[in-house]
Amino acid sequence: MHYQILIVGLVFFPLLGALIVGLGGQTLSHRLAYRVTTMGVALSFILSLYLAYQFFFLHGGSYYDANLYLWDMSAKFRFNIGFLVDPLTLVMFLIVTFVSLIVHLYSIAYMAGDPGYQRFFSYMSAFTFAMLMLVSANNFLQLYFGWEAVGLISYLLIGFWFKRESANAASLKAFIVNRVGDFGFLLGIALLFNYFGSLDYQTVFHQVLPVKQATISIFPGTQCSVITLICLLLFIGAMGKSAQMPLHVWLPESMEGPTPISALIHAATMVTAGVYLVARLSPLYEYSPTVLNIILVLGASTALFMGLVAIVQHDVKRVIAYSTLSQLGYMMVALGASAYAAGIFHLVTHAFFKALLFLAAGSVMMALHHEQDMRKMGGLGKYLPITYITFLIGALALAAVPPFAGFYSKEAIIEAVHLSHLPAAQYAYFCVLIAAFVTAFYIFRAFFLVFHGKECDIYSQQLDFRQGAARRATGVYKWYMRIASQAGTQTENSSAKSISEGCRYQSPAVVKLALITLAIPSLLAGYLLARLFLNTKGFLSTVLFILPAHPIATAFSATFSPMKTLFILLINNLALLFSLLGIVLAWLCYSQYPALPRRIQKHFSWCYHLLVRQYGFNELYQTVFAEGGRRLAKLFFRVDANVLDKRIIDGSGRRISWLSSTLRRVQSGYLYEYAWVMVLGIVIFLLIIINVK
Amino acid sequence: MQHVAFFLFAAILMIAAFMTVIARNPIRSALFLVLAFFAAAALWILLEAEFLGLVLILVYVGAVMTLFVFVIMTLNIDVTEKQRGFVAYLPYAIISVAVLLGILIYALGSFSAPPDIHLLNGEGYSNTQALGDILYTQYAYPFEIVGVLLLVAIIASIALNVKEKRFNKAIPPEQQMTAKRENRLRIIKMPSNKKI
Amino acid sequence: MIPMHYYLLLAAVIFSLGLLGLVINRKNILILLMCVELLLLAVNMNFITFSHYGHDLAGQIFVFFILAVAAVEAAIGLAILIVLFRTRHSIEVDALNRLKG
Repeated sequence: MHYQILIVGLVFFPLLGALIVGLGGQTLSHRLAYRVTTMGVALSFILSLYLAYQFFFLHGGSYYDANLYLWDMSAKFRFNIGFLVDPLTLVMFLIVTFVSLIVHLYSIAYMAGDPGYQRFFSYMSAFTFAMLMLVSANNFLQLYFGWEAVGLISYLLIGFWFKRESANAASLKAFIVNRVGDFGFLLGIALLFNYFGSLDYQTVFHQVLPVKQATISIFPGTQCSVITLICLLLFIGAMGKSAQMPLHVWLPESMEGPTPISALIHAATMVTAGVYLVARLSPLYEYSPTVLNIILVLGASTALFMGLVAIVQHDVKRVIAYSTLSQLGYMMVALGASAYAAGIFHLVTHAFFKALLFLAAGSVMMALHHEQDMRKMGGLGKYLPITYITFLIGALALAAVPPFAGFYSKEAIIEAVHLSHLPAAQYAYFCVLIAAFVTAFYIFRAFFLVFHGKECDIYSQQLDFRQGAARRATGVYKWYMRIASQAGTQTENSSAKSISEGCRYQSPAVVKLALITLAIPSLLAGYLLARLFLNTKGFLSTVLFILPAHPIATAFSATFSPMKTLFILLINNLALLFSLLGIVLAWLCYSQYPALPRRIQKHFSWCYHLLVRQYGFNELYQTVFAEGGRRLAKLFFRVDANVLDKRIIDGSGRRISWLSSTLRRVQSGYLYEYAWVMVLGIVIFLLIIINVK
Repeated sequence: MQHVAFFLFAAILMIAAFMTVIARNPIRSALFLVLAFFAAAALWILLEAEFLGLVLILVYVGAVMTLFVFVIMTLNIDVTEKQRGFVAYLPYAIISVAVLLGILIYALGSFSAPPDIHLLNGEGYSNTQALGDILYTQYAYPFEIVGVLLLVAIIASIALNVKEKRFNKAIPPEQQMTAKRENRLRIIKMPSNKKI
Repeated sequence: MIPMHYYLLLAAVIFSLGLLGLVINRKNILILLMCVELLLLAVNMNFITFSHYGHDLAGQIFVFFILAVAAVEAAIGLAILIVLFRTRHSIEVDALNRLKG
C-alpha cells in the first residue's frame, strides 16, 4: 500500500514545485526558484529509481494498478484518477525525470538574467508533472488530461519570450496543430467508449477479442473495422503530438522557445508521448494491420523527408529539430513493424543523445551570445572543449556508429522493418536505410561547420551586444561582467584583444555538468540496455502485446547479445555502411572542400529550393486552412449580418411595425367608418346565424 | 281603402326618407324629414295608435325638427360642395346595406299575417285614455325617470353653451377711491451692472 | 287587412335608408343626426306594428319613451354640435378625426 504514497509523491512533487514558484513569482529570488523546482524533480527522479528497483529487481515483472480518487460519476461511467505503474511506465518515468532534472540544472545558468526566470522554472516543473500524469494514467481520460496539459505547457514555453512576434506565432501554431491531432484523439476515445463501455486500460485490453469483429459503416456501403478506426483516430492524436507528416509543421517553429525546453519537450519527452501511446495500446494496434501499415508509411516518410530538409538548414537548432522529426519517424516505423520494444528503446536512447545535442548547441549559443546561424560559426573546437567532445558523442550516437547508444536501437529498428511481413515494410525499409545516410550527413555537417573550419571571432561577437540591442541577457553577460571587472579592465571600451589576452571563455559549471551527465548514457546506454529491452523476455514483454503472426521479437533473437550483434552487424550491415559514408561525405564537403556544397547547390537548385521550403507544407496549410478558415468566417459573418440580423431579427421588428401601421388605419376617427363597420359586423353576424339555422 | 292609404303614405315616407339622405341643402334635408314624419304619423294613425301619431307631429316635428332648423340657420352653412370620396366609398356602403336589407326581407317576408284584424275597441274607446291608464300606474317608474332625463338634457344643453365672463379689467369704483401709493408702487434698488 | 309584414318591411327599408345615409355622409353632421332620427322612426314603426297586431299596449308605451329619449338626444347632440362649430368652425365629418389611432 505504501506504493500509492510513493507514486503520488513521484507524480505530484514537480507540481508542488511548480505551484510554489509559479504563485510566488517575482517575489521569490532566483536562487529559491531553481532550488525548489530542481528539488521537486530530483525527488521524483529518486523515487522513480526506487520504484524501478522495487518492481524490476525485487518483484520481477509485477505492476501496480489502482485508482486514487473517484473524480466524477455519471450513469454509465466512473471517472477515476488512478495510476498504472508497470515496466513501460517506469521506463518513461525514469526518462522524463532524468532529462527534466538535467535540463533544470542547465537552465540555472542558461536563463540567468532573464526577467521571467521563476516563470520558466515553474513551467518546466509543471510540464514534468503533466508528462508524468500522462505516462502513469490508467485510463484514457487521465491520459487525455496529461496529453492536453503537455500541449498547453508547450504552448506557454514556446511563447516564453512573449514580446517577440515570431514566438507568439510559433506557439499558436504548435498549439493549433496539436489541437488538430487532439480532435482525432478525442473522436478515438469516444468511439472506444462507445464500443468498450469503459475507459480503463485493463477493461479495454481484456475486451479486445469480442470487439475485434465489430464493424462500423461511416460512408454508406462501406464497412470498416471498429478497431481500425479507433486505432487510426488515436494515431492522428499521436501524429499531432509526435509531429509526423502531415502534422509536423509545428516542430521547426517551436525552436523559438529557449533551448532548454527544446531539449526537454521537443526532443525527449512531449514528442515521445505519441510513441508511448502506440506502445501502450499495443493490444489494440496488433489487431489492426491497416493502421500498422499507415504508421509504417507515415513514419518512414517522415524519417526520410525531414532528414533531407535538415541538410539545407542554416540554424543549428533547426538542424536538430528536423533531426528530431526524423528520429520520431524511426520510432514510429518500429511501432508499425510491431517491434514496440525497439521503438521504446530508441525513444530512450534518443532522449539522451538528442537532449545532449540541444544542450550542447545551447552552450555554443551562449558562448556566441545567442548567435544561431551556423554560417557565422566555425573553429570553436578549441574554445569550447567540453562542448566539442559532448557534441561529438551525441552526433556519433545519432549517426548510429557503434558502440554508441544509437547504434543498437537504430539497428534493431532497421532489422525489425526488414523482417516485417506487412506490405508497406518494403517501402519503409528503403526509407530508413536512406535516412541513415542522411542522418549522419546532416549532423556531421553541423558538427564540422560549428567546431571546425575557419575561426569566427568569438570575442568580438561577445562584444557586439554592447553596441547592438541586447534583448535578452544571458548567463554569459553576467559572467562577462564579472570576469572583465576581475581582470581590471574597463568594461566600456575594452577591445577584443585585451580580453583574449587576459582570459578565456568558460562555460558555466552547471552547463558542463549537464552535458557530461547526458554524454555518459549516450555512450553506454545502448550497450547496457539493449539486452534488457530487446530480448523476448525483456523488460517490456509483460507489457507489450505482440501477436504471434508478427514474428518480430522472436526473430530478433531469443538471447540478444550486444557483442555478438556488434560483430555480425559490423560486417554485413547496410545501414552502418550508409552512416559511415555520410560521415565521410560530410567531412569532405564541409571540412576539406567548402566550395563543393555551393556548386552542388547551384546545379540542383530546384532540389535545394524544394528542401528549403520544406516541401511547401507551410504554404499549403496557410492557403487552405488559414485562408480558408478566414474566408469561411467572413462568409458566416456576412450571413449573420445580412440574413440573421437584417432580415430575421430586424426584419421581424419591421414586420411588426408594418403590421401595426397597417392596422392603425382601421381606427380612422371618422364616424361614418365606425358606423359602417358596425353595419358590416351585424351583417356578418346575421349571415352566420342564418347559415347555422 | 286601407290599402290605398297605406301604399300612398308608405310611398311618401320612403321617398321622403330617400330625399333626406341625398339632399344637398341641409334645409331641404330637414324639410323632407318633416314630410317623412308626417307620413309616418299618418301610418301610425292607420295602425290605431292615434295618440302617438299626433304626439309625433307635435313633439318631433314641432320641437325637434324646429330645433334642427334653428341650428342650421344659426350655423349658416353653405351648400356643401360635392362630397370628396363619395364615389369611392359608395359601393361598399350600398352593398353592405343592401345585404342587411336582404336579410331583413328574407327574415320578415315569411311571416304569416294573423288571421283577422278587427277593431279592438268598441264605442268610447280612447287611445289616449287607454295609454294613460297604464302609463301612470304600471309604467309610472319609467315615466318619472324620463322626467329626470329631460331635466338632465336641459342642464347639459345649458352647461355646454354657457359663456364665461370675459375678463374685464375695470375696477369697481369703491376700490378706486381707496387706492393708495403704498399699495400701488414699490421701488427696488439694485446695484448696477458694470458690464456694458 | 294589411298584412303585418308590409309594415315590417317598410320599417326595414326606412332603417336601411337611415343606415345608408349615416354611412355615406361626410360633409354634414346635421345630416348624420337626421339619419339617426330616421333610424329611430323605423324602430318606432316596428313597435307600433307589433303593438297593433299583438294586441298589447306595451309597444306603444315603449314608443312613448323612445320618442322622449330621441328628443333628448337630438337636443344634446345639437348642443354639442354648436360647441364643435365654435371651436372648429366647420361641421364636416371629415374634419373630426382627432381620435384616430
